Amino acid sequence: MREQVVARSDVQQPDRRAFVRILALATGGLAVALAPAPVRAAAEPWRADPESEGEIALGPWVRVTPDNVVTIVVSQAEMGQGISTTLPAILADELGAAWESVRFETAPFAKAYQNPRYGWMFTGNSESSQAFFDLMRRTGATVRVMLTEAAAGRWGVPSGECRAERSSVVHAGSGRRATFGELATAAAQVTPPANPPLKLERELTLVGRSLPRVDVPAKVDGTAVFGIDITVPGMLIAAVRTAPTITGSVRRYDEAAARALPGVRAILPIPQGLAVVADTWWHARKGLAALQLEFAPGPIGEIDSDLIETRYSHILEDGPWATPVLEGDVAARLRSGAHTVTATYTNPFLAHATMEPMNCTAHVTAERCDVWAPTQGQELAVHALAATLQMPEERISVRRSPFLGGGFGRRLLPDFVLQAALISRAVQAPVKVIWDREEDMRRDQYRPASMIRLTAALDRAGRPQALLARVVSPTILRPVAPFMATQITDSRVDPSALEGMLEMSYEFPARRVDFHLFDTPIPTSVLRTTGFGPNTFALESFVDELAHAARQDPVAYRRGLLRTNARGLAVLDRAARLARWGTALPPGSGRGIAYAHAFGSLIAQIAEVSVAGDALRLHRVVSVVDPGRLLDPGIAAASIEGGVIFGLAGTKAEIRFTNGQAREANFDRYLLPYLAEAPELVTEFISGGGPLGGIGEVSPVALPAALANAIYAASARRLRAMPLGRHGLRLADSIGGVRHV
Amino acid sequence: MFELKVNGTVRQVEADDDTPLLWVLREQLGLTGTKFGCGIAACGACTVHVDGQAVRSCSFPVTAAVGRSITTIEGLSAGRAHPVQQAWIAEQVPQCGYCQSGMIMAAAALLKEKPAPSDADIGAAITNLCRCGTYQRVRRAIQRAAAGAAR
Repeated sequence: MREQVVARSDVQQPDRRAFVRILALATGGLAVALAPAPVRAAAEPWRADPESEGEIALGPWVRVTPDNVVTIVVSQAEMGQGISTTLPAILADELGAAWESVRFETAPFAKAYQNPRYGWMFTGNSESSQAFFDLMRRTGATVRVMLTEAAAGRWGVPSGECRAERSSVVHAGSGRRATFGELATAAAQVTPPANPPLKLERELTLVGRSLPRVDVPAKVDGTAVFGIDITVPGMLIAAVRTAPTITGSVRRYDEAAARALPGVRAILPIPQGLAVVADTWWHARKGLAALQLEFAPGPIGEIDSDLIETRYSHILEDGPWATPVLEGDVAARLRSGAHTVTATYTNPFLAHATMEPMNCTAHVTAERCDVWAPTQGQELAVHALAATLQMPEERISVRRSPFLGGGFGRRLLPDFVLQAALISRAVQAPVKVIWDREEDMRRDQYRPASMIRLTAALDRAGRPQALLARVVSPTILRPVAPFMATQITDSRVDPSALEGMLEMSYEFPARRVDFHLFDTPIPTSVLRTTGFGPNTFALESFVDELAHAARQDPVAYRRGLLRTNARGLAVLDRAARLARWGTALPPGSGRGIAYAHAFGSLIAQIAEVSVAGDALRLHRVVSVVDPGRLLDPGIAAASIEGGVIFGLAGTKAEIRFTNGQAREANFDRYLLPYLAEAPELVTEFISGGGPLGGIGEVSPVALPAALANAIYAASARRLRAMPLGRHGLRLADSIGGVRHV
Repeated sequence: MFELKVNGTVRQVEADDDTPLLWVLREQLGLTGTKFGCGIAACGACTVHVDGQAVRSCSFPVTAAVGRSITTIEGLSAGRAHPVQQAWIAEQVPQCGYCQSGMIMAAAALLKEKPAPSDADIGAAITNLCRCGTYQRVRRAIQRAAAGAAR
């Protein structure tokens, strides 16, 4: 996937002309001429200050006030990953801005804020840091040079004798000093340099440090503004109910009963359901109840988890297959191997279950469409709105709420945005639509269930000679990457669903990957870990099985498969050491390892469990991650820690379909891990060099296999399907666990 | 019309009897720090204090709150001074932050009842869901707040 998508970056590099154009506007109309004014929420440090008098834009990313407040625009959605700290810190470091006086602002939709790899504005794929690191540095350096040259011009000294520090430019020889704010007007006239010099690594003071997150204060006192907290004047509130079945539709309802209720303003048909618009959400919700909605289930035959698994099993026998990888004579090697191992792994459907349910505020008139949304996909939302409303894109504004209460890929999709816009247009008023949890879970676009069969031939020494991987999965990528849709549909290969299989760290002399794109009426899309998650569960469980078949230690066996991969060996060895791999544990306890190279980072993760009857306790998880370069150790550690729990959720919860609908519609049945079940977490990083890797998804990628392998070590039970409940296991409290002996 | 004592102030609110306290706080009183997560008291994002007890306000009718003292995240302290908030900042607990108001309110109620909770006490009392998985830091922050109070 990476190659194919990355190829697009050749088409649209970060647009320097746009940068210059905005600079040209800066003296007159400010950057707002290009894009709608960013939303400022009443939350520190996104304080609801009016745009300061005389503020100067130095390109699309930086503005400076006369009293020297530097505002940095954050292109990426803050959904917990700390990006609103990390990216501005990179820019501020190169710029020489005093970090404590920097303000942050969430970006509007504009070309300048597109991911430079794709020319597409979105937040996801663990690549906000990877894709924006160079751009942030270059932008900081560009603005620094402009400010420095303005100062040099003012003082009549060579700019090489001036340097920027703590939001001022200083002339070393004379000791003269001017603030960025004093220099901004002149700096805006300076032509941005084509190749601004970057600072030396040792001159960087923010990059590589654990910074206090800029969003934490607002998140401990309730002032952080999420999409659900957005208020616009004259706003009404809508609650919606669509058919519980995937393909259902409204059969009948009692409109009069709802209309008679206080506060109810409108009852509107929407696709597959109804919206009640009222003065408050509770009134809207009561209106929905009063409707006594009855639904027709629609065609439900194909929407059944048992049936789907049966179909997958048949496809594993009979195909047909697309074969995106064929290296060496796999068939011959499988026939001639001393020993052949084959195993089939099953991953369940999963819901995103962001803690903040889907919601969106919209105001659509005949002239324009204004949307305020907790979205990861501003660009897709703008395109989708333009198509749905038949309105030119320049009349559409999609403003991102300052914070997203989780994203995990769900908020890349524009469905909830379109729904709010249509409801607003119908009632001719601003409307905030808030889904309840049942709507959120039943109208999710799920992480698809997949089935993976792996076959390997081992030689007499237990070394793999060939690997055949067969993956059956619905699409993951198509709904969020319209520019890939035709390719996926035509080739019957979804590169996202094959992540971790197309490219492998392990060396196999011959390798074949077969893929079957499974068509299902169940909507599926990206969920944190995308294809890497399900495929790594299969591959890392299988490598464990190969190690046992070869009567070798699982860490030693992986070392053999990675023998020329110094960075891979380094994370393995460090994790093994931290986890005291090989030391004795009490009976019923065990350790399991998983390794992955995903989203550009390497991880070795070791889980330590005990199994007593049906009770599974996860005591400890050691994660060692090499992201190439570590931008913020504290924020990265938080992401790896949280990722363990997210990965654990994927072994505890599942969405199962029966009678055309998801059985799980709220947290009473969709069982996320609790604090008491959370293990002790040990997290370490290695900066192994190489390209910058992603941090947000690599930890949950590894966890399911590490857990399954630990369960095998503890109990000799091999879990080839998730969730745990299928095997009669339940996650018990982690506390009071294993004593090391 | 109800009279509610919220964060030390008596407020008049107009709401149906069956309105959950959560929606009165958020929509009538503009106290949006308290969050809607599940509507069935399963996730704890809506946790507030009623007479010092942690209560899941999505499933707590406003009528039951009349005459009692309600504290929301906005009223827990001035300037984030509560030891739990301070510990939360020190441990850098929040990620997306959506569950954290409820988490902090649950932790504050726990520490009021048990100033020196064990890990098992914390596990039993903090049943709030966090999708970002901040649990280890939540545990650490509660222990830190408890240690600070003990000094």
